[in-house]
Amino acid sequence: MGSVETALDIQGLSFGYGDRPILTDVSVQIPAGKLTVLLGRNGSGKSTLLRLLAGLLPVKHGRITLMGHDMHRLSAAEKARIIGFMPQQHRAVFPFAVEDVVLTGRAGHVRLLPRREDMEKALQALEQVGISHLQGRPFTELSGGEQQMVMIARVLAQEPQIVMLDEPTSHLDFINQARLLTLIRQLVSTPLTVLVVLHDPNSAFLYGDHFIFLKNGRIELLESGESPWDRCVLERIYDTPMHTLPYGDRAIVVPQDPAGR
Amino acid sequence: MNKLLLRYTLYILPLPVVFISLVLGPAVSARQLFDWFVEWSLRRPPDEAVNRDLLRAVLWDVRLPRVLLTLLVGGALAAAGNSLQALFRNPLVSPYILGLSAGAAFGAALAVTIPWLPVQLAAFVFALLAVALSYYLARTNKTVSTVSLILSGVIVSGIFTALLTIVQFLTDPFKLQTIVQWTMGNLHNASWDKLQSAALGIAVGVIWLFLFRWRMNVLAMGDDETRAVGLNPEHQRLLVLIPATLAASAAIAVAGVIGLLGLAIPHMVRMMLGPDNRYTLPASFTFGGAFLLIVDTCSRSVAQFEIPVGVFTTLLGGPFFIFLLKKARIGWEA
Repeated sequence: MGSVETALDIQGLSFGYGDRPILTDVSVQIPAGKLTVLLGRNGSGKSTLLRLLAGLLPVKHGRITLMGHDMHRLSAAEKARIIGFMPQQHRAVFPFAVEDVVLTGRAGHVRLLPRREDMEKALQALEQVGISHLQGRPFTELSGGEQQMVMIARVLAQEPQIVMLDEPTSHLDFINQARLLTLIRQLVSTPLTVLVVLHDPNSAFLYGDHFIFLKNGRIELLESGESPWDRCVLERIYDTPMHTLPYGDRAIVVPQDPAGR
Repeated sequence: MNKLLLRYTLYILPLPVVFISLVLGPAVSARQLFDWFVEWSLRRPPDEAVNRDLLRAVLWDVRLPRVLLTLLVGGALAAAGNSLQALFRNPLVSPYILGLSAGAAFGAALAVTIPWLPVQLAAFVFALLAVALSYYLARTNKTVSTVSLILSGVIVSGIFTALLTIVQFLTDPFKLQTIVQWTMGNLHNASWDKLQSAALGIAVGVIWLFLFRWRMNVLAMGDDETRAVGLNPEHQRLLVLIPATLAASAAIAVAGVIGLLGLAIPHMVRMMLGPDNRYTLPASFTFGGAFLLIVDTCSRSVAQFEIPVGVFTTLLGGPFFIFLLKKARIGWEA
């Protein structure tokens, strides 16, 4: 049962609100110890799939096997020890110190009050992300990039085996996007399984190992011989004519402008 | 280090305030009490000129229960306010704003007119009902915005105040006077009996909140953030909402509506200690108790007549609320 190669095995997963289907019969495997990127247009069901996998939405149709365990049978606390989920953007209300924000990641391990080792884990996570210097700063006074780093430290303090991130770069500037993705890339070698939703296929191809395409709530499979960065694949996913420029063994993708240049 | 000192200062603040409050007031002067204390501690022969029975009566039967009750009521309201702010992720809420106070007031007034209804129970049930109503009225698409929660609190407060007026209208003049006096927020008829009736609810509520104080940090992160670390935010909210309502309604049932204390105190504490509920919760309790005790001591010793303490706190708290609302960072965004 406890297959080492597959972190998440999803079989026949469907989800919808009322009559409106969001995901239809999704079956896919997420390899362990790899950085897997979920790609697709807005509304393709990427975030919904991630939230279902993270246990934030109830699974009604389909089966998810999590590191060899049937997810249905796991309690919320047990799930939280396997999966760490980082929501899109954290809106803080109170100016908690960075270390206290990270410490809340330990909630799945804590009964009522965190102990000394929980604080140590939080500080280790800050160090791993490389933001120990922010430890005592109020979260609300940090830049968007720093805030995302803190939230990643919070997920790491949770000590999960799988980390899921929902569009972690969407509110960041050019440089902070690159920094964050580099950090996420490093996590995979620690070893962690990382599943991330990204908008930008170029960052995905630069940093990712494995790619899953979603279109209208269905998995879009590659035909044999196709690579994820092939022009025809991307044109199929994004319904837009593309240019691809070779970049190493992969490619940079640019949508054609309406004039067709 | 400075913060540590400040924290412990807040924790022990009630001690000197209790002492000062016990010695201040008409009928018995501080000087008399001091002489009495010296006489007692040095085992001197009693001075015939001093009426020791009066001293004992004033201190033991009048001032001490009032001081302790004030401390508990102020502490309970501030601790409840602190918890409600954390659990609704909304720095502008308090028992008063959420309609909890109006609900408890209605419940307690109802219990005054219906003899078989226990006051504490009626206050708790209607307070919980009021907060739940405010929360679910404000909830749209599974989110509760800061402002809509305040607006729905206003409406719920209005409804329960209207119901309270009906009770007042239908009740006999003698009971009416009791109800009106009490809705103004009063501590002047404190007694050991009243202290006893409120102490259990306040103690259970505040100790429960104290145990759950770090969970409030987790809840204050937001629903998804709470769920992601393995806690169900809906369950956790109830686990904080129930004791907060218990403590606040027990305080209101005995002391009446003491407005805006539960809003202002947690803010002042956060300004001093930062937002970590592990420290702000106990500090809100001690500082809230001490603050109300100072206000009450002033209200009974400054003027010839007694101003109801609830009037005092609302007059102080109102401008404070407006200040918070105007300060750009709190409130209007979502």
